[in-house]
Amino acid sequence: MLLKCQSEHIVKKSFIQGGLFLGALLSFFSYSQELNNKSWQTHGFLSQGLINVNGTNFVTDNEGMSTDLTELGINASYQLNDVVRLTGQAVYLNGGNRFVEGARIDYALIDFSVFQNEHWLVNFYLGRYKNNNWLYSSTRDVPHARPSIILPQSVYFDGFRDIAMGSDGAALKISYSGEHIGDIDINVNYGASSLSRKDAKLLLGDSVSGKGEQEFDAQFSIYWQPEFSPWQFGFSLLDSDFNYQHVSTDMFTDAGFSFQQYTGNILYEGEKWQFSTEFFQQNFLLTGLYFDGFSKKSIGQGAYLQAQYQYSSHLSLLARAERFYVDKDDKNGSQLAAGSFGLVPHYFAYQNDLTFGVYYDINASLRLQMEYHHIAGTARLTPIVMPDAQRNDQEDWNILAMQLMYWF
Amino acid sequence: MSELQFTNDKDIIIFHILKFCLLIVMLVMVRPVLAIDVITHQSVNVSAIDTTQLRRIFTMRQQRWSDDTPIVVFVLPSQHDVHIQFATQYLKIFPYKLDRIWNKLTFSGLGVVPRKISSQQEIERLVRITPGAIGYVDKVSEGGHINVVKMSK
Repeated sequence: MLLKCQSEHIVKKSFIQGGLFLGALLSFFSYSQELNNKSWQTHGFLSQGLINVNGTNFVTDNEGMSTDLTELGINASYQLNDVVRLTGQAVYLNGGNRFVEGARIDYALIDFSVFQNEHWLVNFYLGRYKNNNWLYSSTRDVPHARPSIILPQSVYFDGFRDIAMGSDGAALKISYSGEHIGDIDINVNYGASSLSRKDAKLLLGDSVSGKGEQEFDAQFSIYWQPEFSPWQFGFSLLDSDFNYQHVSTDMFTDAGFSFQQYTGNILYEGEKWQFSTEFFQQNFLLTGLYFDGFSKKSIGQGAYLQAQYQYSSHLSLLARAERFYVDKDDKNGSQLAAGSFGLVPHYFAYQNDLTFGVYYDINASLRLQMEYHHIAGTARLTPIVMPDAQRNDQEDWNILAMQLMYWF
Repeated sequence: MSELQFTNDKDIIIFHILKFCLLIVMLVMVRPVLAIDVITHQSVNVSAIDTTQLRRIFTMRQQRWSDDTPIVVFVLPSQHDVHIQFATQYLKIFPYKLDRIWNKLTFSGLGVVPRKISSQQEIERLVRITPGAIGYVDKVSEGGHINVVKMSK
């Protein structure tokens, strides 16, 4: 009974929070046209979808159609003077079990225009900045600016959403456009994200009582697009450390998590066809957590290949194949299953996704998107440290999702 | 090089039919290139611009004119015929790619994007009154207080 009351309270609170955010968004939108002038810019998006996951608790603990697919966002930018710009974005997200439900500040920063001329742009950002280092990292929650409703979980793992989205710190962007070289963009950032107890529970499991903290997050990326070329090439590096401090009632001990990732990407944008791929290797070192002195090192690998075809100015089709392995030396999960005495099935060691999607632009600001995923493996389900093998007792599962989105 | 030689009238007729068919195919395949006026505020001291610079401006990679005046960019909605033609023929870039670049700037906080204006008349009016402004219309309605910039290549 108590659980039922708490659950109803949470639903009610979420509903009120989402409603308030939507109200604020709509009233802001009504003024946005008047507000947009030389110094001000405001933009936003509203979307609601239906999602049906068959076989796992990726979105909900119960199978069936769910409305846990809401994304609302509003941003504003104000040019204070020739050098300084203030900007920020707030979003409300509800993705069920995928990430923590609620409103949050995506970015809130001061943008200093350090240097610029006809060929160079150098900007320094201070505050909460967004991760701009992967192909879709800065627009992963922006429905009309990403290729699919559910992004490739190997790179854009929803469980890491709040950590991977951005950090509090500083970022530098250097852009060069040359007549023969083409366009080059370099991004460097250093900061840290705060981890809420909900985030810790999402990643480590419900039994967590202690506190998690990101010590630092350092990232670098470089992108190059040859002049007038449909091709773009990118490479990024990520280095980050986390720690976990246990409490006396905890089943875990203190822990350290060290994480490095190397990602490459290629994008082709033709008149009708678009191709994109991202491929990465990540080194992961876990110390402690289960008992003092415990240590485990693994090297994960992932990649996807995506094709989009613009059938008409309104209709676009998508197909994507994706592979992810938690440990490249245990791709079939046999060591994982043996090491956990069979408690964690072998298919928690990988996740392979085959996706087909379509979207239709009803007009320049309204889109309907649909997609189907067939997935083998459950490596990208939360929690990752203590996987829920009881609820996720199938290797093969699928997702059917539909989303209506509006932006301005 | 030897010239074509026809041995009888039938060959000549077939040759002319083929020539006519080729002409029809070429007329159908070659899309008409309509001129678009790239316009700037009268204070902008630029009489000619090339594709590379125009592209830098509309992708927000160049935000100031050479005299350090901030550039204010006005564009039509993405599905507007004049916008599609301007993007593909003048910027040599597909409209969806411009949208991707602008979306990334808008929703990442990295920068500002062109101001989207619903009609050509409004773009022309705004370019006239906004120092440093640039925009495009299929034809400027009246002269004076506005520069029509030549494409240099």
